[in-house]
Amino acid sequence: MTREEITRRVIAVTARELGKKPEEIKEPHHFAFDLGADSLKSIELVAAFEEEFDLNLNEEEALKVQTVGAAIDFFVQLLPE
Amino acid sequence: MKPYPLVHVQEPNLLKDTFPYTLPPLIKFTDDIIETIDGKQVHFDPRSAVTRDIHITDTTFRDGQQSRPPYTREQMVKTYEMLSRLGGPQGVIRQTEFFLYTQNDRDTVDACRNLGLKYPEITGWIRANKADFRLVKEMQLKETGMLTSASDYHIFYKQNQTRQEAMDQYCEVVEAALEAGIRPRCHLEDVTRADIKGFVLPFVQRLEKMTESLPENSKVKIRLCDTMGFGISYPNVEEPRSIPKLIYRMKEECGVSAERLEWHGHNDFHKVHINGANCWVYGLNAVNTTLFGFGERTGNPPLESAVMEYVALKGGLNGVNLAVITEIAEYFTKVIGAPIPANYPFVGKDFNTTRAGIHAGGLRRNEEIYNIFDTTALLNRPPRVAITDKSGTDGVALWVNDFLGLKGEQQLTVMKVAKIQRWVMDQYEKEKRLTTISDEELEAQVKLHFPELYAQATNKKA
Repeated sequence: MTREEITRRVIAVTARELGKKPEEIKEPHHFAFDLGADSLKSIELVAAFEEEFDLNLNEEEALKVQTVGAAIDFFVQLLPE
Repeated sequence: MKPYPLVHVQEPNLLKDTFPYTLPPLIKFTDDIIETIDGKQVHFDPRSAVTRDIHITDTTFRDGQQSRPPYTREQMVKTYEMLSRLGGPQGVIRQTEFFLYTQNDRDTVDACRNLGLKYPEITGWIRANKADFRLVKEMQLKETGMLTSASDYHIFYKQNQTRQEAMDQYCEVVEAALEAGIRPRCHLEDVTRADIKGFVLPFVQRLEKMTESLPENSKVKIRLCDTMGFGISYPNVEEPRSIPKLIYRMKEECGVSAERLEWHGHNDFHKVHINGANCWVYGLNAVNTTLFGFGERTGNPPLESAVMEYVALKGGLNGVNLAVITEIAEYFTKVIGAPIPANYPFVGKDFNTTRAGIHAGGLRRNEEIYNIFDTTALLNRPPRVAITDKSGTDGVALWVNDFLGLKGEQQLTVMKVAKIQRWVMDQYEKEKRLTTISDEELEAQVKLHFPELYAQATNKKA
C-alpha cells in the first residue's frame, strides 16, 4: 500500500472516530492533545485502524503511537507497497 | 548523609528470598527485641519462633459461638473436619475447645471424636467450680480450660469475692482436675487489666507449686486472656497492658514454659491479630483463634490469619493446606449463612479483586505486581477484577481473558475489548449507574462480541 493511500485512510478513520472533518486533521496533530482523544477513545481509534487495515496489532507498540504522522509511519512499516 | 549510589541491574531484583510468591511473604528477623523490665534490659529472640513448636488453638465453637446463633451439630462436625485438614498432620491447629453444658454440646463432642482425627485435639471449657468440672469428667476429656478471672473487676464486681477467696476456689478446682487425671488450663480472664504483681504472679506461682512434682506435659497450662483487647505488644509499655512483660514474668518468674503458655485476644482496639502474632515472637507457643475472627463483641484473632503468620514465620507450610481456608469460607457463607465482609483478607469475596484500572493493567502484565502471593495455587482464588467506571479497558481485558480462559498470545488486547469498555462507560456516563457491573452482565457482553470464543469457553466449563 502506498504512503498516500495509508495517509488518506488514517486521516479518514481518525476523522470518523474523533468526530472531525478530514481536512481538519494534520500529520503533526497529537491524538490526545490536539484532537481530544481520551484513553478509551485512543484505544477505540487503534481498534478502528485494525479493522481498516485488517491487522491484529501489538497492543504496547500500537498504543505508543501518539500523532497522526506517527500512525502513518507505523502503518507504512507494517504494510509494504 | 550516608551516600547510596544507584545500583544498575540487568535483571530486576524481585527479592524472592522474602517474596517467594509460592508462599506468603516470609518474615525474617535480624536482631533481638529489647524490653526493659524492672530496670533491666531483657532480650527476646524473635528468631526462636522458627524453631519452637508454635501452634494455633481454636475456640470457634466456644468464644466464636458466643457471638452468633448456635451452629448445628452437623455444621460443627463439618467445620471440625475442615479444621483438621487445614492444620495438617503436624497439628499446626493443635486444639479446639467446646462447651459442655447442654446435651447437644456433649453429643457434638462425641460426633467430632468419632471422626477419629488426631488434630485438633478436643478440649473443654468450664467455669472454675466443681459442678462444671463434673461435666469434663463425664466426657473423659484429657484437658479442660477453666475460667480463673484475674482482675479485680471480675473478682470483686462479678464474683463478689476477695482475692484470697477467688484464688482458693480456682486452686480447689485445679486440684480436683489433677486428681482426676485431667490437665487444667487456667484462663486468666482480664489479665491485661489485672494487678500482675499483687494477684496474677502469686496465683500462677501457687499453681506451679501445686504441680512441681508432675511431668511437664501434665502441668497446668496458662491461657493469658486479653478479655477487653487492652494488651499492647509494643516494647516498653507499662503493666498490665504490656504483652512482652507478661510473657517474661510467666516464663522467668513463675516457671511456665512456652509450651504451657497460650494467648487469647479480643479485637476491641483492632490489635487482635498482631497481638497474637507478637505473642509467638515474644516467646509463647499457642495462639488461640477463631475462624474469621468471629467471637465475643469485636472477635478473636482470626484463625486463617494466624495460619498465614505461622507460614510466614516458619518459612514453610509444615503440612498446612491453605486451600481449605477457601473451602471453610464458602461453607460459612453458603451453608451456615455467616457473612464475611467482601474486603476481608484471604477469604472475602474481593480480597484479591481490583477495581482500579492501573492495578488491572499491572495484573495483566504480570500477576505478581498486584497479587500478594500465588493465591490461585495456595488458596484456589485467582486474582480478579471487578468492573466499574474506574477499572479501565485493562480491567475489562483482564476480566474477559480470565472468563474465556485465554493465556499468553491467545489473550485479547484492549483494542479487541474496547466495545465492551465503551458499553461499561456508557452505563455510568449515560445511564448514571452507581453499582459495579455484574459478572452476568459482562458474560452477556462477551457472548455478544465474541460468540465463538464464548461458546468454546462455556463448552469447556460445562
